[in-house]
Amino acid sequence: MTQRDASTQLPLTPAVLHILLALSGGERHGYAIAGEVDETTSGSIRMGPGTLYGSIQRMLGSGLIEEVSPKRAKDDDERRRYYRLTTFGRRVLELEVQRLDRVVRVARRKHVLGDAGAL
Amino acid sequence: MRRPSYERVYAACLRLLPDTFRERFGGEMIDFVARRLHEARRRGVFPALVERARLAVDLVTTISREWGAEWTQTDTDMPPRDNMDIFLQDLRFGVRGLLRRPGFSIVAAVTIALGIGANTAIFSVVNAVLIRPLPYHDPDRLVLIWGTQGKTNQQGVVYADYQDWRSRTHSFSELGAFRGQSVTMTGGESPERLIGDFVSASFLRVIDLKLSQGRAFTDAETEVATKGPVAVVSYEAWQNRFGGDRAMLGKPITLNGTTFTVIGITAPHTEVPLGLPDVMVPIGYYPNAHGLDRGVRGIAVAARLKPGVSYSAAQRELSTVMSQLEQEYPATNASTGAEIISLREYLVGGVRESLLIILAAVSVVLLIACANVANLQLARGAARARELSVRAALGAGRRRLAQQLLTESVLLSLVGGALGIALALVLRKTLATLIAPQLPVNEPDIRLDVPVLIFALGISMVTGLLFGLAPAWKASRTDITEMLRSRIGGGLRHGITRSTLVVVQLALSLVLLATAGLLTRSLQALQRVNPGFDGDNLLTAQFRLPVTKYNTPEKIWEMFERTTTELRSIPGVEAAALVRASPLSQNGESYPVVLEGQQPVKVGDAPMIQINSVTPGYFATMRIPVLAGRDIAATDRADAPHVIVVNKSFAERTWPGQSALGKRIQFGSEGFWTIVGVAGDTKHYILNENQLLQGYVAHAQRPQVFTSLVVRTKGNPTDFARAVREAVWRVDRDQPIWRFKSMEQDLSGVVQSKKTMMWLTGLFALVALLVAVVGVYGVLSYTVAQRTQEVGIRIALGADAGRVRRMVIGDGLRLVGVAVVVGLALSLGAGRLLRHQLFGIPATDTLTFVAVTAVLGAVALIACYVPARRASRVDPLVALRMD
Repeated sequence: MTQRDASTQLPLTPAVLHILLALSGGERHGYAIAGEVDETTSGSIRMGPGTLYGSIQRMLGSGLIEEVSPKRAKDDDERRRYYRLTTFGRRVLELEVQRLDRVVRVARRKHVLGDAGAL
Repeated sequence: MRRPSYERVYAACLRLLPDTFRERFGGEMIDFVARRLHEARRRGVFPALVERARLAVDLVTTISREWGAEWTQTDTDMPPRDNMDIFLQDLRFGVRGLLRRPGFSIVAAVTIALGIGANTAIFSVVNAVLIRPLPYHDPDRLVLIWGTQGKTNQQGVVYADYQDWRSRTHSFSELGAFRGQSVTMTGGESPERLIGDFVSASFLRVIDLKLSQGRAFTDAETEVATKGPVAVVSYEAWQNRFGGDRAMLGKPITLNGTTFTVIGITAPHTEVPLGLPDVMVPIGYYPNAHGLDRGVRGIAVAARLKPGVSYSAAQRELSTVMSQLEQEYPATNASTGAEIISLREYLVGGVRESLLIILAAVSVVLLIACANVANLQLARGAARARELSVRAALGAGRRRLAQQLLTESVLLSLVGGALGIALALVLRKTLATLIAPQLPVNEPDIRLDVPVLIFALGISMVTGLLFGLAPAWKASRTDITEMLRSRIGGGLRHGITRSTLVVVQLALSLVLLATAGLLTRSLQALQRVNPGFDGDNLLTAQFRLPVTKYNTPEKIWEMFERTTTELRSIPGVEAAALVRASPLSQNGESYPVVLEGQQPVKVGDAPMIQINSVTPGYFATMRIPVLAGRDIAATDRADAPHVIVVNKSFAERTWPGQSALGKRIQFGSEGFWTIVGVAGDTKHYILNENQLLQGYVAHAQRPQVFTSLVVRTKGNPTDFARAVREAVWRVDRDQPIWRFKSMEQDLSGVVQSKKTMMWLTGLFALVALLVAVVGVYGVLSYTVAQRTQEVGIRIALGADAGRVRRMVIGDGLRLVGVAVVVGLALSLGAGRLLRHQLFGIPATDTLTFVAVTAVLGAVALIACYVPARRASRVDPLVALRMD
């Protein structure tokens, strides 16, 4: 994968961005991803299963994440699968965060938050 | 622990996902949902409810998204945003957008509400009559079997034939005989007429009769040879006539002079085909003389098809049996047959077409409403072009914008739908009371039940999609840069779409106007039909003498003669007579006629003559002219030569150019009758029937226990009902009399159903025209507003007001012209579909088509004139300064 490929993935939808963020801390199964996103966004992004697995399917398709052969804990459900970031996925996440960072810096300079707060 | 039913439903709904997605993620999704709900339940009941709703929305949007991806083979690398988020955002935008433009929202919602309300109301009727299953066990297997004779169908059945069907056919699990006939109950304070049904035990098995008390008949009890005096009373009669007597079972009741023991009471609301009897008694007691003999079509037959047997197979078997019987009994069964008709077809076959036409008309109204709201949306879309282009510039995809607009439309139509259902609820009672008497349905059965509400919801969604698609499609195709550059985006293309929608509205309105016009003209033609008698100030009623008491022709005739005398002595009565079957009462009997000296013809090929028995003075009372010869006279007694008065049509058709007087004819099995007079033609069953061949004989020479009376009164005929009843009671204190009606009521009853249909389609046409005209006005106003600058320049260059007006009106009339051409073509098609409903006019009735075109043109012209005037008053200075 080239860097050029990675930039075509941008901008990411909130769901994809947060799934990537959740997986940046290591491999997770679907429900754990949703739980972590819920937690880190203080409940403002609460993904349903359709959104989650729809995103996962597309992210698998575009090579952002991959499935890992599971090392299950004992109480884990048979059906559960684990996912982790690919190198490409990590690259896309980095690019997106850099992009957002630039946006935030511009916004700060313009004192957007000091105004109506409507970004 | 709570039953995890939500999870099970969720799991079942996963089947709606495309296979690939479900196989890959289905298990994980179920696991996800179980855990999510488990957590939510710990937080409380309300959070759990909210979570369920979120999961449901998530699933629904996922299903549509995954199928979308499946079909388009796209989007697989474009991950979705949170569905719930998108949906809620669209919903918020939608609500906000609708509230921001209350004028538009109210007009649009009311337009949609009118369309959906009318459709829901009409569908509630269609559902009650055509869709809801009949109130019998396994109703699709229930059939009626009628006799046929030659080309005449739907005749009564010969009891002996019915018994042969029972023993010789294998297509039916059961066949039953029945014959509805009023019975006289005596023993109370005054004689009472009950609706009776003479039935076989097998008939009760065919309809699977449910009893609330007691037992049904045994086969032996209803057989002619072994009949037993037992009766089953309907639950309603038990409550109303017998005061809900707790000791009803085993009670004796006297019917037609015979004492029956009550052995059963039906379950409440029990339906019985062809009428709701108060009491059922064994068919062995059927009172008509020789009513069950071979050759006499005395009874009706209901049957239940065996599972797996088709109508046509049963019909083939029945026809085979009938041809065997024809060979075995040539004297009575020559050219007779039998036909099977499903009970539903028999009940609703006659009204299905009119109902579907009304439903079609009302759907056209909804279509027009859709086109109108789509036009309003487009106008708004043009005004919102900037808002949309800004959002597009900020990164909203075209599909996103289209989806947003569509959400708004569906939201709007759901609001309209809710209002429409409220409207339908308000209209229900009025509509049901108006329409139920003309349909095989009871008024309370026309209601807004679950299927009707599902229908309303369904058409609301479809409506929203219909009128939302055009604006959404526009939004998805519009070029952003062009939108930003021009002041009003895509004006020209919008113009064409909007004009097309207006043409559609006008053309459809014309179709409805033409339909209403054709039905109105047809009704007028029907009302102009001369029934052949004078219906003003004429009272009719009926009675049936009990055969046990009036068991000889002499007794019957004496009773009739005394009754006539008593009737004529009532103050205010001008004339009175008895007639077996009074016109428009739906009674009547016909026989194949044989002329003296004629070669015998096959029974089925002989012309049919309708025979009526009358007392002297009948023609004078009815004011039917006697055209030749003489009236039935008092001297035509039982022992005098048998005479008959025939109608003009019979005389002219049988002996063209000759006098019919003195000729002799035979009908039924009774000897020859000499024609002594020719009377005018009359209509007998319905006003639009082909003229029947008719013959009138003297009651004295053919006395039968059932008769009607006709009384010509000075003043309102129904005021005389009491006096007439008392006159009959002076002759026989135990004789009930019923069906007091003025002939006026019968005459208007005949045209009532046509009238209802005309009013309904007329109303729809009017609504359609209004909506369409508002559409024309809207489009022209919009064009004028858009062309203000151009008009201003024209006026500045010296164009006068008249010319500007003509220009705008010309624009409008071009639309109307196209609409008229399209509409007339469609109306000709609609006329063809209507042809069975029309009477006295062709489906291409020129007057109707010219008139409705003129109406549409005139109204459209007014709609054009207002914006035209506005255009001609444009101040060039103001117009040029704009921008």
